[in-house]
Amino acid sequence: MEAPTTFAPPTASPPGPRAGGPRVSPEALHPSLWHAHQLGRSADHTLPSGFAQLDAQLPGGGWPRKVLTELLLPHPGIGEIRLLAHALAATQRAGRLVMLFDPPAAVSAPALLELGLDVNQLLVIQTHLQLRPGADRLWALEQALKSGHVGAVVAWLPPRLRAERLRRLQLAAHAHDGPAFMLREVAAQQNASAAPLRLALHPAGADQLALRVLKRRGPPLLAPVHLALPAVLSAAALRRAQAWSGTEEEAPPLHAASFINLA
Amino acid sequence: MLWVALHLPLLSLESFAATLAPEQAAQPLALMDVHRIVSANASAQALGVQPGMKRATALSLAPQLLLGQADARRDLDALTSVAHAALAFTPAVSLSLPSGVLLEVQASLRYFGGLAPLLQRLRATLAPLGHQLQCVSAPTAQGAMLLSQLHDGLHCADRPALRRVLEAAPVGLLAAGQAHAEVLQGMGLRSLGDLRQLPRPGLARRFGEALLDEMDCAFGERPDPREPLTLPPVFHSQLELFARADTTEQLLYGAQVLLVRLVAWLSAQHAFVRSFSLQMKHEPRWRHSDTPSVTVLEVALAEPSRDVAHMLVLLRERLGALQLPAPTLELALQSSDISRRPPPNAELFPTAQSEQAGLTRLIERLQARLGREQVQRLVPVADHRPERATAVQPAEPLLLREHKGSAPIRTCPITRPLWLLPQPLALQERQSRPLLDGKLLQLLAGPERIEAGWWDGALAERDYFIGQTTDGALVWLYRGRLPWSADGVGAGWFLQGRFA
Repeated sequence: MEAPTTFAPPTASPPGPRAGGPRVSPEALHPSLWHAHQLGRSADHTLPSGFAQLDAQLPGGGWPRKVLTELLLPHPGIGEIRLLAHALAATQRAGRLVMLFDPPAAVSAPALLELGLDVNQLLVIQTHLQLRPGADRLWALEQALKSGHVGAVVAWLPPRLRAERLRRLQLAAHAHDGPAFMLREVAAQQNASAAPLRLALHPAGADQLALRVLKRRGPPLLAPVHLALPAVLSAAALRRAQAWSGTEEEAPPLHAASFINLA
Repeated sequence: MLWVALHLPLLSLESFAATLAPEQAAQPLALMDVHRIVSANASAQALGVQPGMKRATALSLAPQLLLGQADARRDLDALTSVAHAALAFTPAVSLSLPSGVLLEVQASLRYFGGLAPLLQRLRATLAPLGHQLQCVSAPTAQGAMLLSQLHDGLHCADRPALRRVLEAAPVGLLAAGQAHAEVLQGMGLRSLGDLRQLPRPGLARRFGEALLDEMDCAFGERPDPREPLTLPPVFHSQLELFARADTTEQLLYGAQVLLVRLVAWLSAQHAFVRSFSLQMKHEPRWRHSDTPSVTVLEVALAEPSRDVAHMLVLLRERLGALQLPAPTLELALQSSDISRRPPPNAELFPTAQSEQAGLTRLIERLQARLGREQVQRLVPVADHRPERATAVQPAEPLLLREHKGSAPIRTCPITRPLWLLPQPLALQERQSRPLLDGKLLQLLAGPERIEAGWWDGALAERDYFIGQTTDGALVWLYRGRLPWSADGVGAGWFLQGRFA
């Protein structure tokens, strides 16, 4: 009595001499197998990022769920939330909560509304203040990931985080059905990380963001991805910014009298 | 009538063990009353400690023996909690001192689907209280009570069956029989059956009416009314710790015992607790008369609950953040703030409702550990000054429910930066143009004039610009329009936000 093979592909020929038989592609065997030159597929549904160029480069075509996504920033305020806003708003429309852990500055509620986020479905958790000495700053983040009841998590991690701490978070994220964005400093790029998706962000001009894929399930991507973020600047201001880029001193000074229509 | 009798053979030892840390409770334990051992646990008996021994004898047999004082009050508290838990099954519950609880369950049989399922659920409900149980059901209260001291799991369906079992029972079972045990033994009377064959007037003359009354009640030949227990409107239970607790971690074991009792009291009235208070009575220190004698910890739950594990987690976080002024000797738990409502449906698969409940608990846990103010929600305020346009409030877990899935689709352009600096950062100037980190900022849009606040003393008169740093990030800066302030504060360029 032979047990049936679990991973037999539905289209595979009955067992027999392999030589000369049809070649079985690995991706037909199991969802977590893929060729090295292909993008990995995700067993869980991904969450579209709202940027077609980015989705094309992400395994599964969007932000992954149940794992950590690491974003490395040179400094806060380069358009990181505009990058994530589409996914976060989609999470909120599904009736789920978004939690921000230790944002780098005070969060402005009117700006959140302009980004399409609902302030009622968003909580900010500050873990800076430690009530008891030696308490774990990442405890709250780990609890939120482990509970599985939070829709999306955006966390600003403390600098110089040890790899095993991140690994612990990654394990906790298995229970978290949604994206978990970990925002870290660029210097962390040198260190190993348990997150299966790592992106380095840097500004590429006004309302533009360049992403370098440091790690993904798939072939390495050499060229950065350029994204046009939801615009802050009007068309006229954008032209002004493009004209200025590179030539620092020759930029015409903006006179207080020359009013620019913001609309 | 069908009576279920619960007998707790190890009640006093178990109520003593509840005052100890768990690692101590496994040690040899014994209880004393006036220099004599009255009961000893299994590991003490294995060393040869027997009830009736003197203290010195027991200690010479087992030097590591942990000796406690027998305390009827402590036993009664534990027994009352068992009775409270039993009240969830029938309103007719009465105590049978020293260590029994009686339930009249005839009217509850149909609801619980028969006697066997009822007893199974009763045992499951009583399990958290941690007592060893002997359970007997019989048509008379006294008969069930007597037999529960002998048997476990016995069921006498009718009077004849009860009579057969009772007649075989030893005479020493009767409280009045124990007093005359030697005389009865000498007369060759071993079982209740032997006693019943004797003429009644003679028995009454020799041993008193009490013996006959007790026996008649057991056989159902005499009415035996029992006063049902009524539930106190306010829960109050206390626990005197065996050893003083120096750290809050040590208090948790005792607090758990009290919480389990609270849950028994709640389940008796199908209620959920909204808040409770834990009182820690401290060792009196006459040297420091300003040290408070009691520390009270109030725990309020966002959502009424009767889940011991959840309440214990909250209590652990709250106790962890607490500094006790002195070692604790006694714990007391009080609650009267309850909410009566039907229990939630149990779900096999996760639903929106169970997710909300889980989320509420998560937020409660975070608030308990980090502090209420650290879990924040943001409220937009209609104010033009950006630093006042956002109010930060402690999160209300129950409010989240009302605003489900109402995220707007973005229609408006982005005009405000997400990150606001706590204080506007004064910028250096070069030829009246602002510098950030030594590099010129390129102004791309503006000015947008904001003049507000003349009514509340925080006047802002500013011209806002969107600027670009050399690496392309967008910042929000303003030029103050208050040249008349004497010290120059308020004039010049300031960075206030970053577009994220």
